[in-house]
Amino acid sequence: MLLEVQNVSCSFGSLLALSEANLSVGEGEIVGLIGPNGAGKSTFFNCVAGDLEPTSGSIRFNGVDVTRAPAEHHALLGMGRTFQVPATFEDMTILDNVMVGAFLRYHRRADAHAKANEVLRLTGLEAQANLRARGLGTPGRKRLEIARVLASEPKLMLLDEALAGLTPAEIQRAMELVRRIHALGITIVIVEHIMEVILTLAQRVLVFNQGRTIAHGKPSDVVNDPRVIEAYLGHRRHARRERRA
Amino acid sequence: MRPRWGSIVLWGGLLVYPLVVSFADSGDFLQDVGATLVLSAIGACAWNIVGGYAGQVSVGHAIFFGAGAYVPLLAYELFEAPPLIGVPFGIVVAVAMAALIGLPTFRLQGHYFSMATIAVAELIRLVVGNWDLLGAAIGIQGPATPRVWWDLIFRSAVPYYYIFLGVLALTVYITWAMAGSRFGYYLRAIRAGERAARSLGVPVRRTKLMALMLSAALTSVAGSLYAIKVGFVNPESGLGILVSVQMIITAALGGAGTLYGPIIGAIILVPVQSATNTWFGGSGSGLTYILYGGIIMLLARFEPGGVVELWQQLRPRLWQLLRARAKTEQARVA
Repeated sequence: MLLEVQNVSCSFGSLLALSEANLSVGEGEIVGLIGPNGAGKSTFFNCVAGDLEPTSGSIRFNGVDVTRAPAEHHALLGMGRTFQVPATFEDMTILDNVMVGAFLRYHRRADAHAKANEVLRLTGLEAQANLRARGLGTPGRKRLEIARVLASEPKLMLLDEALAGLTPAEIQRAMELVRRIHALGITIVIVEHIMEVILTLAQRVLVFNQGRTIAHGKPSDVVNDPRVIEAYLGHRRHARRERRA
Repeated sequence: MRPRWGSIVLWGGLLVYPLVVSFADSGDFLQDVGATLVLSAIGACAWNIVGGYAGQVSVGHAIFFGAGAYVPLLAYELFEAPPLIGVPFGIVVAVAMAALIGLPTFRLQGHYFSMATIAVAELIRLVVGNWDLLGAAIGIQGPATPRVWWDLIFRSAVPYYYIFLGVLALTVYITWAMAGSRFGYYLRAIRAGERAARSLGVPVRRTKLMALMLSAALTSVAGSLYAIKVGFVNPESGLGILVSVQMIITAALGGAGTLYGPIIGAIILVPVQSATNTWFGGSGSGLTYILYGGIIMLLARFEPGGVVELWQQLRPRLWQLLRARAKTEQARVA
């Protein structure tokens, strides 16, 4: 297993944001995390990425215990992530943004530059390479975040709502990119609101609600799970659907 | 990358400045202002590494400046050594202080970091102001008359000017080399967003600490040069908060986090300061604060990126304007 999360809980003061979450991800998988707002997806995500320290439980990545390791250590081990609200380096050019990622494995400027250019071509950003990141719109920023992580040559990529706020056409392009990344042999864990995306991309889905994981399995099975429907649509809609069936 | 012509004009201008003004009526005075200007630029460039590139606004750089100013004069006071010999020791003290201060304060972010550095700097100023070995409130002096040439005591400001210019060139070179390296990219990433930087494997605290130590070493050299030229330092001139504020304002006015911003800031600020000091004399000493306050307000309101950023935004429009004018001119001729 590339990533093994066992019984991870995280609380802020008296608020239990995440309770006893479990997840194992094998190499080459695409796993989706879904759930309504405030379900604990982002908390889970941030615990795995090393941005938050879990209150209890353990996280192993590539055979190394990273439960309490700082975020930069995760990156070095090969776990890359994007942010829900894109955290691109606004005043730096797109090329420089990607070079920061590339410098993780390539310490010499020329090597990092070559790596960054390779990634810019792959992600279709090479035409804007010398533009500042703040000139990009939301889709561009999300793409740039992915490019930045790619340049750091990760084994596992954590995508936090990489497709939220995009138009249908942009979503198609972004999904295309995710598939291309997967084809490079990079394992992907993706948090997503849009069901359609998860259904087509993910091989396995973990559903969160109110800080707990309520379902786990193949996307097609999970969407028919009554607990999942109730979490997403509420009790009445669920009941109506039952009646119809 | 950077407009080459701009830097050639800048360095060329700085190189010939003392010769050009030597023909003026008050040439000696103008040369002295020039030396002050270059010294101020060194301090601002040194601050710029951690305050500009890394975005960690230290208001405690007077500590490092003071270390550089006090140690060489102390070397003279205790051992009758030429102050120059004390310069490396000043650097060592400054770097050690930077490590001591950086380790705890870099846990803090943004304004809290700035406030912590003010507190430490004021504390050190008070301690030194009561420490007899360091001359307490009166301060300490260097040699009054030159004993050997490397006491570096000159009647004219010109030798100082060129020594300072050499150090400035070295500082700019170090900054330039740094900015293009992995370290420089990491500093800019930290300024833009620590969380994102960390997620890409940037060791944030260690990188900030190294930046502070490098910045401290260069700031200490600026302090040493000041002490050697003036031949005297007291807690106010070596460790006062205005020393730190001057570096910040100079760098920010020109453009913090840019290679030439601090120099441009010094070119604007130092002549204005000298003019107000001459016109208003001692009664206008409070004017410095008013000037600093005004600059801070203008920068915050209109262009936090400083003059360099302003120029980069205006340049394309200016070119467009010139080209359009040339075209209409051509049309009229035809």
